[in-house]
Amino acid sequence: MMNPTIELDGLEVQLGGRRILQGLTGVLKSRAIGLLGPNGAGKSTLINTLLGFHAPSKGSARVFGLDSHTNGRSLRSLVGYMPENDAFISKMSGVRFVRYLAELSGLPRNQAMERAHEAFVYVGLGEARYRPVGTYSLGMKQLAKLAQAIAHGPKLLILDEPTNGMDPPARKRLIELICEIREASDICLLLSSHLLRDVEDTCDEVLILRNGRIASICNLVEERRANRKFLEMETFGAEESFTAALESLGCECAVFGNGRVKVVMPDGVEIREVFKVAADRGVQIRRMNHRRDSLEDIFLNAMEQTGVADGRI
Amino acid sequence: MAVYKRKYSPYVGSLTPERSRFFVLTRYAFADLFKSRAFVILLILALVPTLFYAGYIFLANNATAQLLLRMNGNGFAVDTEFFMVLVIVQTQVAFLLNCWVGPVLISGDLTNGALPLFLSRPFSRPEYVLGKLAVLALLLSAVTWIPGLLLFGLQSGLAADGWFWSHLWMTIPLVFCCAIWILMLSLISLAVSAWVKLRIVATGVIFISFLVPAGFGEIYNGIMGTYWGRLLNFTYLFRVMVTKGFGNPDRSAPEMPVFAAWLMMILVCVLALFVLNVRLRAREVVRG
Repeated sequence: MMNPTIELDGLEVQLGGRRILQGLTGVLKSRAIGLLGPNGAGKSTLINTLLGFHAPSKGSARVFGLDSHTNGRSLRSLVGYMPENDAFISKMSGVRFVRYLAELSGLPRNQAMERAHEAFVYVGLGEARYRPVGTYSLGMKQLAKLAQAIAHGPKLLILDEPTNGMDPPARKRLIELICEIREASDICLLLSSHLLRDVEDTCDEVLILRNGRIASICNLVEERRANRKFLEMETFGAEESFTAALESLGCECAVFGNGRVKVVMPDGVEIREVFKVAADRGVQIRRMNHRRDSLEDIFLNAMEQTGVADGRI
Repeated sequence: MAVYKRKYSPYVGSLTPERSRFFVLTRYAFADLFKSRAFVILLILALVPTLFYAGYIFLANNATAQLLLRMNGNGFAVDTEFFMVLVIVQTQVAFLLNCWVGPVLISGDLTNGALPLFLSRPFSRPEYVLGKLAVLALLLSAVTWIPGLLLFGLQSGLAADGWFWSHLWMTIPLVFCCAIWILMLSLISLAVSAWVKLRIVATGVIFISFLVPAGFGEIYNGIMGTYWGRLLNFTYLFRVMVTKGFGNPDRSAPEMPVFAAWLMMILVCVLALFVLNVRLRAREVVRG
């Protein structure tokens, strides 16, 4: 059986005498995991703990079944990390910088050089690869950080606020690149971002942190699938016979007056059949929406929860 | 992920052995150093005395050359004193070389936060320090004990039979005294480099770390009427070790017990390692 991507088991981390992460417990199995939370929620601390930079004061964190504290070295050999803050050697040329780090990951010299060139061209910095990294713009530095994170071919790519400081076209390009990397191989992704859109565009599962505790773990794929089955309609005509006919198909219906109907469709029933039922009964469908419980709603719900979460899902 | 394909593909090739990966840091650091003309000139100058020593040994062992120079063998002796002076002079040259090279080794990685990138790989902090330490250790060895041993070999080859065996013991103080000095210098430099980002300031701090404690030590000696203040004078401690190591030839006996000198140097090394341990973190933790 394949190990889950990330397993947290009562994870507690204390830094400078403060408890930053408080008893996180959860299993994240998806290939692309988003990490959300307001400032100070503990996102970066969680990433640093997964990388073995911080030792848990209680509990454990495992990545692909490897304990972040006791198997840190083996774990880090599987990881490509793009940190949130500036991380470069200013006087080194971009391609040499990536080659240097690839060699530290264990690639032989020639392969490291080859992969560094490929990674640089791949992220779109081919023309700038011989320039010192210190002369790059903020967006280019972000791309250089991505290049060094992928050059050695990791199994898990950890991206901490990857679109920070990027203009909209550059951000779009980076998100496309991340999606492309995800699709092109069996690489897993852990993306921490303040931008819900980034997470929504790239991730299948989201872990929402609040005050060092888990506020929510949500599988976006299932959420999207469930939303596709939920219809909101405005109808005109024989409302009762229309809902009765839909119920005979196995749908659950709720009528709110003025022709407003909400329908939950069972598996196997397609929208086409709803239109057919309406046409058969001479009912006009004047508006039809899928419910879009966006990530923003999920995030806001998680943030609005009152009471102290116990860190469990 | 071929360049022309512009596609991402995972790496499936072989990997280098983990235990030798620290040497990647050393290799890149040397490549950067040799790009600097100033460094190359400094290194050549540091090796120039070795040529003079070699010439001296040649003259000392060549009666014809002495005759040509009308020196008749007066003042030419290749003995313990010669090798002791060689060690003392070359270690001071090493100090200057260290002041040029040491300050930039770690600060460059810390200035723009590159350290997390190193440590997020299968690469530990001790390996990082080892990789940087190897730069200074190799470089300073190249101007101290390595030429010392080569000159010893030259003298052994040119001198009469039996010189080699009767003087072989000198190689031990030659190597060990240089080794502890190199270790101490390197660790101090790395510790300073981890604290101070500007090269010129870091170089100043290295000088200060040798001169100021020595000054305080002498003040302490003056006030207390003792010699223990000299424990803060690293150059003096090294001289004590060297003179004792080479059998204290023709010199006034050093006051300081040699074990105290060794102990102090080891203590300085431990202190420098402590500083490095504090500074070299993937993430800084703000207390409170």
